[in-house]
Amino acid sequence: MSEDKTTHFGYETVPEAEKAERVRGVFDSVASRYDLMNDLMSFGVHRLWKRFAVELAGVRAGQRVLDLASGTGDLAARFAGLVGPTGAVVMTDINAAMLARGRDRLLDEGRGGNVRYAQIDAEALPFPDATFDCASIAFGLRNVTHKERALAEMHRVLRPGGRALVLEFSHPTTRPLQAAYDLYSFQLLPRLGRWVTGDEASYRYLAESIRVHPDQETLKGMIAAAGFDRCDVHNLTGGIVAVHRGFKL
Amino acid sequence: MSARDLALASLETAIDAVLRLDPAAQAALAALHGRVVGLEVQGLGLTLFLAPDATGRLQVLGAHEGEPDCWLRGTPLDLARAGGGPEGAGQLFSGRVRIEGDSALAHRVGAILGALDIDWEEQLSRLTGDLIAHEVGNTARAAADLGRRTRRTVELNLREYLQEEAQLLPTRYEIDEFLAEVDMLRDDVERLAARIARLTGRLGGTGETR
Repeated sequence: MSEDKTTHFGYETVPEAEKAERVRGVFDSVASRYDLMNDLMSFGVHRLWKRFAVELAGVRAGQRVLDLASGTGDLAARFAGLVGPTGAVVMTDINAAMLARGRDRLLDEGRGGNVRYAQIDAEALPFPDATFDCASIAFGLRNVTHKERALAEMHRVLRPGGRALVLEFSHPTTRPLQAAYDLYSFQLLPRLGRWVTGDEASYRYLAESIRVHPDQETLKGMIAAAGFDRCDVHNLTGGIVAVHRGFKL
Repeated sequence: MSARDLALASLETAIDAVLRLDPAAQAALAALHGRVVGLEVQGLGLTLFLAPDATGRLQVLGAHEGEPDCWLRGTPLDLARAGGGPEGAGQLFSGRVRIEGDSALAHRVGAILGALDIDWEEQLSRLTGDLIAHEVGNTARAAADLGRRTRRTVELNLREYLQEEAQLLPTRYEIDEFLAEVDMLRDDVERLAARIARLTGRLGGTGETR
């Protein structure tokens, strides 16, 4: 029997080669209702989380920002406002369906000028070293097969002084919140997914993938291991979500 | 993430809702894409940054790295009054609101925001709590009212002094009379000129006749 490397897909263990394909299946399935589901699932709070992450980025006019796993472009849209006409935002996603939706949305809103689009894999970025002032990934790192590779790539494409931001589900810091959160994410969330997108499995994957994602300290260690300095963590909504930040010095 | 972030988000949403109804203001803001205005509300220890994006939406930030293109600093009262109406520009120029950096940018953003119909008290209340915000609102209203009355009284007293006591300035009646006399004189001169021209013409035979 072959000894293929395995990784987790939610609570399942799958061959590494298969994870990307299965994640693609999830997002192809939910792309059309993605924004609506985000609002429903988080009671609209995801907008605040994203606002907060963008503020931590400290992006200024004229800078270049790489937004990985942009999805429908919530972060990219805010970054585009901050970098001004002289800066640039590269909005990316590995999933064509999600990227197309995001691009359509930004173009419809009239944000054409300083935004570029690229369908790329966060583990192998097609950019030269030291290209960007900021690299962000919001609710995307969880779905990447080799997280450490994606973090190393973010480090590589950043200029000295640049910063990486990882906004991701994390682990609640108090027990009562943990209990309520478990009830919500394993009982309510998959049902909500079935009603709105007709896809219960994808939202079960969401809940499971959050549980197997590294906690605050572990991820902070991974970011430091990728070469970043002055790493910090900001817990949001009691640690349900956390923003990790690291600088390339 | 704190209540402050929530307040800033709701302020941004409120401004956005009003901006959507005002395409001209949106276009004016979109032209300022890439610029950042710092706003310091003195006395409340509140600092925020306004960054218009390409669509004319105003991003409200609690922090900004580096220096904004311009700063507006003032008490809530000064800032609130600086925005609206013909007196607003006076507030900016009279030095009650301090401007640093690109003053043209400050004036443009101030004028755009001042023209928007936003319930600033309600927005402020999210940052400071209802009581303080209402007090600030009351103070602003009372001050505006007092300002209006004071100005009117000063105007009347000063006029009376200059006209009646010091007799430096004429009264309205004297001015009207004087202007009427000027008109009459001018007409008389014109009539006389016409008459002279006519007589000259009759005498010389070559002169211009009217």
